[in-house]
Amino acid sequence: MPALDIPFFGTLVLCLILISASYTMAIAIGAGQGRPQLLPSARWGTYATCALVLVAVCVLAYAFQVHDFRIRYVARYSDRSMPWWYLISSLWGGQDGSLLWWAFLLSGYTFFATRWLRGRHTELQPWIFATLMSILIFFVILMLFAANPFATYIRTTPGDGEGLNPLLQNYWMAIHPPSLYMGFVGWSVPFAILIAALITGRLGNEWVRAARLWSMIAWTFLSLGLLLGCLWSYEELGWGGYWAWDPVENASFLPWLVGTAYLHSVLIQERRHMMRVWNVFLLALTFFLTIFGTFLTRSGLIASVHSFARSDIGQYFVWYMAFLIIGIAALIIWRLPKLKAENEIESLMSREFAFLLNNWVLLGMMMFVLIATTFPLLSQWIRGEEVTVGPGFYNKWMAPIGIVLLFLAGLGPLIAWRKATGSKLLRAMAFPIGVGVSVAVLQSLFGARLGYPPLVEPTEIYDTTTGTVLAWISAVAPLVSFATCAFVLASVGQEFWRGMRVRMRKGENAATALLRLTSKGRRRYGGYIVHVGVVFMYIGFTGAAYDTEKESALRPGETMSIGQYTVRYDQPRMEADPNKRMIFTDMTLLDDSGNEDGRVAPAKFIYRTHPQMPTTEVAIRSRPAEDVYVIMSTVDPSTRRGTFRVIIRPLVAWIWFGGIVLLLGAIIGMWPTGRELLREEVARPKRLRFSPATAVVAVAIVVATMMAWAGVASAQNDSSSSLHAGSVVINDPVERQLFGRLLCQCGDCARLPLDTCACGWADDKRVEIREALAAGEKPTKIQESYRAQYGAKALAIPSDKGLDRALWAVPLASMVFAVGFIVLMGRRWQRRGVEAHTAATAASGTAQLEYDSRLDEELDRLEES
Amino acid sequence: MADSLPWLFIIVASVAMVAGLASLWLSLSLALSDEVLGGARAQLISEARRALIGEKEALLQEIRDVSFEHDADKISDADFEELNEKLRAQARQVLHALDAGAESFRDEAEAQIAERLAEES
Repeated sequence: MPALDIPFFGTLVLCLILISASYTMAIAIGAGQGRPQLLPSARWGTYATCALVLVAVCVLAYAFQVHDFRIRYVARYSDRSMPWWYLISSLWGGQDGSLLWWAFLLSGYTFFATRWLRGRHTELQPWIFATLMSILIFFVILMLFAANPFATYIRTTPGDGEGLNPLLQNYWMAIHPPSLYMGFVGWSVPFAILIAALITGRLGNEWVRAARLWSMIAWTFLSLGLLLGCLWSYEELGWGGYWAWDPVENASFLPWLVGTAYLHSVLIQERRHMMRVWNVFLLALTFFLTIFGTFLTRSGLIASVHSFARSDIGQYFVWYMAFLIIGIAALIIWRLPKLKAENEIESLMSREFAFLLNNWVLLGMMMFVLIATTFPLLSQWIRGEEVTVGPGFYNKWMAPIGIVLLFLAGLGPLIAWRKATGSKLLRAMAFPIGVGVSVAVLQSLFGARLGYPPLVEPTEIYDTTTGTVLAWISAVAPLVSFATCAFVLASVGQEFWRGMRVRMRKGENAATALLRLTSKGRRRYGGYIVHVGVVFMYIGFTGAAYDTEKESALRPGETMSIGQYTVRYDQPRMEADPNKRMIFTDMTLLDDSGNEDGRVAPAKFIYRTHPQMPTTEVAIRSRPAEDVYVIMSTVDPSTRRGTFRVIIRPLVAWIWFGGIVLLLGAIIGMWPTGRELLREEVARPKRLRFSPATAVVAVAIVVATMMAWAGVASAQNDSSSSLHAGSVVINDPVERQLFGRLLCQCGDCARLPLDTCACGWADDKRVEIREALAAGEKPTKIQESYRAQYGAKALAIPSDKGLDRALWAVPLASMVFAVGFIVLMGRRWQRRGVEAHTAATAASGTAQLEYDSRLDEELDRLEES
Repeated sequence: MADSLPWLFIIVASVAMVAGLASLWLSLSLALSDEVLGGARAQLISEARRALIGEKEALLQEIRDVSFEHDADKISDADFEELNEKLRAQARQVLHALDAGAESFRDEAEAQIAERLAEES
């Protein structure tokens, strides 16, 4: 046992952080209220607070490494057999530690933001420091009063810990949560800048420029975190998918949607000094949603595979969220006169208007996800009825909206800022539309032969008109999606080509033109590359429409066939390490001609500390065209007979590749330009400068390398753990979809869907439903009978009646209302814009013409830099 | 690695603790002194100018983009002429404001120097 009283020391450091942060906040507020001499003091106070947070993290990390099981958190999330790297990842594996980790990342951001702010935005600085410290204070209060990671056992200290959840003992767990937290916490800095701008009334473009880099960093990490979460789910949870619309996944997706809308919308403010209230709202909402998402995860209010145990920290979040809503609303109302737009939209055929439509779709998606995620809670509160909103609902509704968003990603780059000329826009659209239509025609002609038929089986989730319409939309969705992907790729490609052609006319060769074009317009072309990444990801998502799967029980030497593959089960083998026993099943993939096409080894891991929780290690053979995803459900040690589920998942690898492209585009977009660097050099010559972009690039490159490495590893011998309920033999896609919507009602198995649950009750129910299907009964009828028999909570899709209809009707109605409003306002802005434009042009006649030559000189300098 | 990690955490925590307490001490001593008033004021004045420079940079960027979009055949000649002239007019106004601001900036700097000299004498 260590001699130092680590738990007491850790708690003492938390108290010191609270004192230091409160002092810094007070000093910063003083600096903001007419005593600028206090600013350096606030800056040093910020550094001190950040250093103390680092001390607290090191103390907890030390406690994990020396197995100080006096600390409850250490005993609950580690044990003596765990290797050192999992002892480090245990820091964020549980509730209390992850709050400290959150505070640590926030202090990291605060430290770098404080360094970056030296000599910049002096009037904003005090309020930025005060806001960042207030957020930190909230998290420290949470730790001290509700979730202290240094809390000890009241009675005896255990001899060994309980160990980290086996699901978390995975390499993705080491990088997925930190990256997601980096994304969540990262929005604190732009939010703090926004609050500073609102308080000081400096609501021009200054705060937008100050927040630009930080919001891009946060967005990049949030995207990376979501992507790594998909990878973790795909490899770790072993159900064959990467996104299950779990409430916690949704909680991280919500700020991403609004943050993406903000990044587009703020471009309009930067260029046109418009949409100020809207941008303030979007950025504040993004930050709010990061807190809301954390609340959902931490409070345990909504059931999720990710959520932490139910705790009383939820009430702290409720108060904090209420404070945020009231505070932000009051600030916005107070500053409304200063948030007035200086310009108006000059034409509905402009990029500004396309961005508005992009915001409309993104916010519409946000509304859908937010309402569906919170609907079980609302239903419980309003009518006392328990309902579940499962992936079937989200997939049906989000797919068409996602395609509209994708289309706008291709349309936006084609339209000029301010005012596009109609004939020129049509000419610009001709090639991308031609490519999109060609792809649709080619898929219609040859798709079925290649395994990608243009239409897929329409499946209804409701027995109503809405259900029929949705079924037909999902039937044509793959065709439309591939065509839209081609449209966007052609649009972005054309943009690059047009830009290159302009430079080539000035005598540059193609390679130089491409390089200079991208380096001169990093933000624009980085953004286009992000769009290309998104297209690749959509290709991967669309591939899900062609999934096939089969489950079979095999003895060694026996084979099963699926698609063009034959899978041979060779033999089981057992291995062990100090932490766990591992049962592998060696399998060989054979191609059409019977030649070996790869080997996989799905497995079961039985951890020493969690023997009741055996994990299933999936094996994935990944290729660009498809993944072969093999799950070993059971294996009998005496007969060596095993049950295997094989899923052929076309195009999944494109999602990960798209993610890497997206990351690359984001890095290009936020890389500082030569002028920015030059300006910094002038401000601070001969000193080593901190560049946040450099830090992000370094982290992103490391993560991209890890992803690439993991991809290679998957292809060779991929294995990762998961919990799997057992053996369920389903080979018919209609059955699989229906079973996925019906939840087991045996009362013992956590209401797993019937396509996964292996209990006896579920087995009997599947037999019964199969008989009904064989008798010709419609799946939706069976679904409704199931609902009538067991109640609304027995289905993963709410009905299409009564209050349940609000699930899709409210967001859809909001979207329809919003688009009407946007068009109406657009027309109004356009009229006023033309008037203002006329006035400005008239005024310019009296301006001093001698400035023209200076402007030309400046433009030449801009071109050369 | 596993054996040396606890020591690594102790060392990092110790260094961070010393740095934290030192920063806190520095912060307190700065809070109790008026030393940096002049510098802070000068910085505030230069920020107004920096905001105008930022405005100028944004307008230059926009002029360049409009010209690029015209070259890339996205906007017609007539629309280009109209937009380009409007942006240039705004940029001329900003240049004018910068020139006017430079004079008041000089006056303020002179006033500050005089103030400091008076304090020292």
